[in-house]
Amino acid sequence: MKRPARAQRRTRPFAKAPSLSPAEMQRRTEMALLGMKVFLISLSILFTASLAGYLAVRARAAQWPPAGAPPLPKGLWASTIILLLSSGAMQRALAEARNAGSSHLRAWLATTLALGAAFLVSQVWNWRVLIAQQMTMRSSLYALTFYCLTALHGLHVIGGLVGLSLVLSRAFRGLYSPAFHLGVRLMAIYWHFLDVVWLVLFAAMFLMA
Amino acid sequence: MAHPSDNYLTHTRGIKSWLLTLDHKRIGIMYLVTILGAFLLAGIFALLIRTELLTPGQTIVTADTYNRLFTLHGAIMIFLFVIPGIPSALGNFVLPLQLGAKDVAFPRLNLFSYYLFVFGAALMVLSIIVGGVDTGWTFYTPYSTDKARAGVIPVLTGVFLLGFSSIFTGLNFIVSIHKLRAPGMGWFRMPLFLWGLYATAIMQILATPVLGITLLLLIVERVLGVGIFDPGLGGDPVLFQHFFWFYSHPAVYIMVLPAMGVISELVSVHSHKHIFSYKMIAWSSVAIAVFSFFVWGHHMFVSGQSAMANMIFSALTFSVAIPTAVKVFNWLATMFRGAITLTTPMCYAVAFLSLFAIGGLTGMFLGSLATNVHVTDTYFVVAHFHFTMVPVGVAFIGGLYHWWPKITGRMYSEKWGRIGCAVFVAGFYVTFVTQFIMGTHGMPRRSYHYLPEFTALHQMSSAGALAMATGLFIAAGTFIHSLVKGLPAAANPWGGASFEWQCPSPPPHDNFTETPPAGDPYDMSDWEYHPEIRGYVRKT
Repeated sequence: MKRPARAQRRTRPFAKAPSLSPAEMQRRTEMALLGMKVFLISLSILFTASLAGYLAVRARAAQWPPAGAPPLPKGLWASTIILLLSSGAMQRALAEARNAGSSHLRAWLATTLALGAAFLVSQVWNWRVLIAQQMTMRSSLYALTFYCLTALHGLHVIGGLVGLSLVLSRAFRGLYSPAFHLGVRLMAIYWHFLDVVWLVLFAAMFLMA
Repeated sequence: MAHPSDNYLTHTRGIKSWLLTLDHKRIGIMYLVTILGAFLLAGIFALLIRTELLTPGQTIVTADTYNRLFTLHGAIMIFLFVIPGIPSALGNFVLPLQLGAKDVAFPRLNLFSYYLFVFGAALMVLSIIVGGVDTGWTFYTPYSTDKARAGVIPVLTGVFLLGFSSIFTGLNFIVSIHKLRAPGMGWFRMPLFLWGLYATAIMQILATPVLGITLLLLIVERVLGVGIFDPGLGGDPVLFQHFFWFYSHPAVYIMVLPAMGVISELVSVHSHKHIFSYKMIAWSSVAIAVFSFFVWGHHMFVSGQSAMANMIFSALTFSVAIPTAVKVFNWLATMFRGAITLTTPMCYAVAFLSLFAIGGLTGMFLGSLATNVHVTDTYFVVAHFHFTMVPVGVAFIGGLYHWWPKITGRMYSEKWGRIGCAVFVAGFYVTFVTQFIMGTHGMPRRSYHYLPEFTALHQMSSAGALAMATGLFIAAGTFIHSLVKGLPAAANPWGGASFEWQCPSPPPHDNFTETPPAGDPYDMSDWEYHPEIRGYVRKT
């Protein structure tokens, strides 16, 4: 008696799609997509408020960057390019998921994951470059805002990597089909969002310096 | 018939079936119990505050303890009762029922959000008590950046978790309302409670992240000792106020809009009359939500922001009165020539109207720059605030009485329900009208000490608070009595036409065996009273 109950409970609502009717699947897909969009609206407010705080601090400063502070490292270009590439890889993964008979979904998801990790490595590298020049979080508001904004974005990338790993493991278990690959879709939306957020932060902090 | 053997309460048994439930009704009840516990706690702190203020100088506690008491009272009431009360407890229970749905869109997220709430609440309350935090519920800098106040970081972390919980609940409600409406239920056929919850949810997801980032910055400032807000280190304390009120002013409407939704239901159902001007009430909720994002500066008239900013914020503040007044007049017009039954929920609805009208009007006083500067940081502000926030509690209790038969399947004593309401409201007027008077005479808020000429008014205010507590204990008594000895409730004891009255009381696990036909939720002409079941039945 207990077994079927447990098996049922462990059924992921979106992954084990065959047990659901097409109409129910459609409804759940719509709900999940809307949920993701609402979540991203909320997140974008978080980043907008952070950026507004950054701009307010910067507007009040007599000199930006303050005298003696090092310029932001050129390595930020590398981060940007890596993240853009990862977004491209994610988009390829999504295209593969939609494409019947394709076996490249896993490869592209793994590529996205690797590039995402590489982005984080590159960001930490940039931090180390600055720390080597004696710029720590406590040195100035210039330093603090840079570390805080990159850390805030980085934390969301880490969250994205966790999500990507889950999607990848499901892809290895063969749970996605051209008809049903909601997890990949949600992941792609979130990943592109992080990409856009980074571009805005990069533009505000680096290009406008 | 009133007690089908299988309902959501009896569907599964055991503590685990509650703690891990995905049923929105059970999650709603768990919220209800948690929130009522917080309400009791915050109420006790209020009574301690009023006891301390019986005499000038030290009465029962020291000045430091007094500061902690009002911080505890404010933070618990706001973050654990007024904000989550209606959406999380009543909303979780009622929203899917009113939509004609089996559950909210994301039941797991709903349970997760409950546990975030419990964890955040426990962290916040314990660390205020243990850490002796006395910043007030607004966590203003430089109080909150002062190193001597050790408990600030865990308190902020607790509030941060509560914010997450609030965002996820809002997200869940938005998606549910978009995607789970019964076939045939257009946007303008939703009960107005859902409009209230919808407007609230939009604000929750848009405003709460700003609170999150503010609290994070405060934590960063404390941990690293860099000046974001501390002017001694190059920061700007007014920046904190901008951030804080950008969240907390909309948050005022996060608190009030669900209450207004409840009142729309109570006024129409208990007047047995169609709600007057449905669309205006629905749109005014949205208008309030939008306006609320542009008025935060009215909390900062004396913070040194520019005179131009003050005038703009003052003018915008007046604009909020328009949609609010639209609602009040629509409720009055709904009652006009209705067949009003003075049930307990209706008594609370009328109390809401009377209290909130005063709260709203004194808001206009405070929105006017000249008056504001005179009464800033006096008891006038405290009284105004309570005249707007306590009505939310009044709507919560009214809503609880209204949906109590649905939630528990039992009726309560109308007589004692009404008495409790009357005692509470009378006590409220005594408590806070005296505070308006004291405020205009210059009695400063947040002080345990006062000039001897205020003694009589303070004692009157404290007596009123005792009456409020008595009223609430009577209300609690009716609920407990109902659980033990209440008569079985009919599916539709009030004659309401929205979906929740069309499933048994208490509802079965899946709410509806088949979704009822969607119609006008305020057209109650199809229902007639059957005294033998003490409820309404659809005419055949």
